[in-house]
Amino acid sequence: MAEVKVKKETNLSDPVEVENRIKELCQQFPQGITDQVIQNDMPHLEPQQRAMAINKLLSLGQLDLLRNSAGLLYRLKDSQSTSKMKGSDNQEKLVYQIIEDAGNKGIWSRDIRFKSNLPLTEINKILKNLESKKLIKAVKSVAASKKKVYMLYNLQPDRSVTGGAWYSDQDFESEFVEVLNQQCFKFLQSKAEAARDSKQSPMVQRNSSFATSHEVWKYICELGISKVDLSMDDIETILNTLIYDGKVEMTVIAAKEGTVGSVDGQMKLYRGVNTIIQPTGLVKTPCGLCPVFDDCHEGGEISPSNCIYMSEWLDF
Amino acid sequence: MTAQEVRLCGLLLREHFGEVVEKVGTHLLKCGAQNLRTIIHETGLSVDLVKKSLCVLVQHGASTFSSGRKGPGSPTEYHASCDRILRILRYPRYIYTAKTLYGDTGELIIEELLQRGHTTMSSTVKTVADRLTQNMAEGLTMDYSEVSSTFSKLVETHFLQRCPPLPRVGNKDSSAPSETPATPGTPAAPVNTAPPTPESFPECYKVPSMTLIGRGKRQLASEDGEEQRSAKRAKMDPQTHGDEGIYWQVNFERFHLHFRDQTIISAVANKLDQTSSEIVRTMLRMSEVTTSPMATCTKPLSANEIFRSLPPSYNILRPILDQYLTLLVDDPMEFVGKAGESGGGMFVVNLHRALANLARATLESVVQERFGSRSARIFRLLLRKRHLEQKQVEDFAMIPAKEAKDMLYTLLSQNLVQLQEIPKTPDYAPSRTFYLYTVNQLPTARMLLQSCYKTVANLVERRLFETKESKRLLEKSQRIEAILASLQVSGAEPEQLTEVEEMITAPEKQQLDTLRLHINKLDSAENQVDETIFLLESYINSTNASS
Repeated sequence: MAEVKVKKETNLSDPVEVENRIKELCQQFPQGITDQVIQNDMPHLEPQQRAMAINKLLSLGQLDLLRNSAGLLYRLKDSQSTSKMKGSDNQEKLVYQIIEDAGNKGIWSRDIRFKSNLPLTEINKILKNLESKKLIKAVKSVAASKKKVYMLYNLQPDRSVTGGAWYSDQDFESEFVEVLNQQCFKFLQSKAEAARDSKQSPMVQRNSSFATSHEVWKYICELGISKVDLSMDDIETILNTLIYDGKVEMTVIAAKEGTVGSVDGQMKLYRGVNTIIQPTGLVKTPCGLCPVFDDCHEGGEISPSNCIYMSEWLDF
Repeated sequence: MTAQEVRLCGLLLREHFGEVVEKVGTHLLKCGAQNLRTIIHETGLSVDLVKKSLCVLVQHGASTFSSGRKGPGSPTEYHASCDRILRILRYPRYIYTAKTLYGDTGELIIEELLQRGHTTMSSTVKTVADRLTQNMAEGLTMDYSEVSSTFSKLVETHFLQRCPPLPRVGNKDSSAPSETPATPGTPAAPVNTAPPTPESFPECYKVPSMTLIGRGKRQLASEDGEEQRSAKRAKMDPQTHGDEGIYWQVNFERFHLHFRDQTIISAVANKLDQTSSEIVRTMLRMSEVTTSPMATCTKPLSANEIFRSLPPSYNILRPILDQYLTLLVDDPMEFVGKAGESGGGMFVVNLHRALANLARATLESVVQERFGSRSARIFRLLLRKRHLEQKQVEDFAMIPAKEAKDMLYTLLSQNLVQLQEIPKTPDYAPSRTFYLYTVNQLPTARMLLQSCYKTVANLVERRLFETKESKRLLEKSQRIEAILASLQVSGAEPEQLTEVEEMITAPEKQQLDTLRLHINKLDSAENQVDETIFLLESYINSTNASS
């Protein structure tokens, strides 16, 4: 009796069978399978049918298409994200993926276009769609106010986009900076005055009028005028503006590692100072502050003889 | 010689010497060195007038003459000096300094010399003694020897110097200012193209021995008219005192050094404290005569010497002095530097650096008053960090972007800030170029100096305008004063006096008062702007010397 080998053959013309088989393979290899693996498993499968099956799985959103150095990789997508994308088409998924990759820095719409090669109108439609589904959000960048970067909905935007402690809702908080400026200056000034009144030897006087950036930082934190937590670097930028105002001078000294407030073995010391001259003579005259100084000459419409600024100043 | 300087010189000459001298002076300033014929031809004045104007200018040192460019045979050329004429603005400051240092006598000596230009010692002493006697109580007179001693002191500290003897240019040239008393002749001196500086003569500061004994004469009332007439001309005194031909002039450079030292001392007092400024004052006083005017820093002084020379009222202990000196050296302004370790530490005062710091503070103060403290912040930021992009300026200064942009553009339009382009590509495409903002201290200082000159000229013109407006009123008040004075002398009754006084109505009196107030304000403003001019000029000259 001749044995008829009954081979349980997968009916290769049945696409569903093919798809299931591919899915099983994916589950076997969670990091992804290549074309080669599928071919080894089902050697009789024609490339066309294989491609059709893979495309079907991709469009259903059950498979992820990745590329590595060897070639294309197929990976099973986990079910949760699959449910999210239900009802979206390929392009949306692509865009979503690009945005996801950008992390918390966000990505600009033009960059999305470059990466996905989709036309601008399509991109805009997709972005609006995704926004309405609450999957992504737009964050206004502080550097260029018209530019919007997109990132995933639940991510915290990075500091470089929002501008850090000085910006709230993309607006530079100038009053906040001013208040901090004045507070730091008052602190340093009172320290300098206390040192001057102490009438000790001049070296001690000068050293006690200095304050490290750490001390100023502690003082400002204790004052509690800031809603946002300020780091020592932030305080140092404020103190730098005081230097540019000419009210404060800074020296750097070497400090032992480990002392409070030292960075890389140095400490910055700040001290309130006075200006070295009184306001100069030129600005005590109306000509020194005159906005039309260059147009003024004798015999012209604006001249010293009929200058209204001078008349007001003389009658003052 | 910029247009503003020429305008200011013209105004100063007109006020002090009259319109004819102004015409000749401005012509010389604009056209450079010229000989007599050309001046006469181009100004259109008569020979006499031109000669007299040149005499006045040479007498005051505003003009010098030298042989012509074409060689020894060509007619002499006259050259006006813009700097010297601008010094006229500073006369009140010189007189005030002399008063603080040497009292009333010194003040009057300097005033005499500034008015006359060049005079001999004897004539100065006599005139000053007479003036002092005038103001003293009845019966007291001023002794000549007191005035002479003050004069000698002024010479010793180099505030006065001898005029350099001028070479005789040739007998036939009658237009050479041999009429003025400023030419004692060293016969046939070699002709040199540049006039010798006063300091190149060894006897520059030597007081001549002269016989001058007597006391000041009090003026009697009857001699009033006579005195007024001869006050303008130098008195032709028949007596000789053994110092003929030796003429003296004020040494402006020495006064300038003094002003510079004063400014440095007050800057140290503002920045640190009184004691430090006293130490710096002592150091500067010790190096007064040993340091050359153009030196970068004073000669090194050891801490021991400084300790010995401190004024005894200060009572500082030696270690405390050392601490103060260390603090001065460590200060970021770098007024004082350490030059060595011998003798307890050798210290110098960094003059050029101090001037640069003072000029920088002046620029910052101008920007602050003109544009506000935020613009001043940007200005100081750019001075420190040299070149910055717009974004960096906004970040460092912590000013919102829009406002920072506005302020930067305003400063740029006023030329206080410059733009430096750094291209990335050979075609200077704007999108591919870096634009950096920068501040150059020296060109900005020069520009501000010219603004100062223009400001002073404006103030002078306004003063002349106000005087002209009220000319009628001023003349009336002068007439009434003259009538009053004559009535008082001839012993009139009080009713007549009040009658005359009432000829000026109350509103007119008020007008006169306002006028006086205005004129005083304008005068004091001129002096204040002159302080700025002095600082900026010293700074610019110091950079010239070192470059």
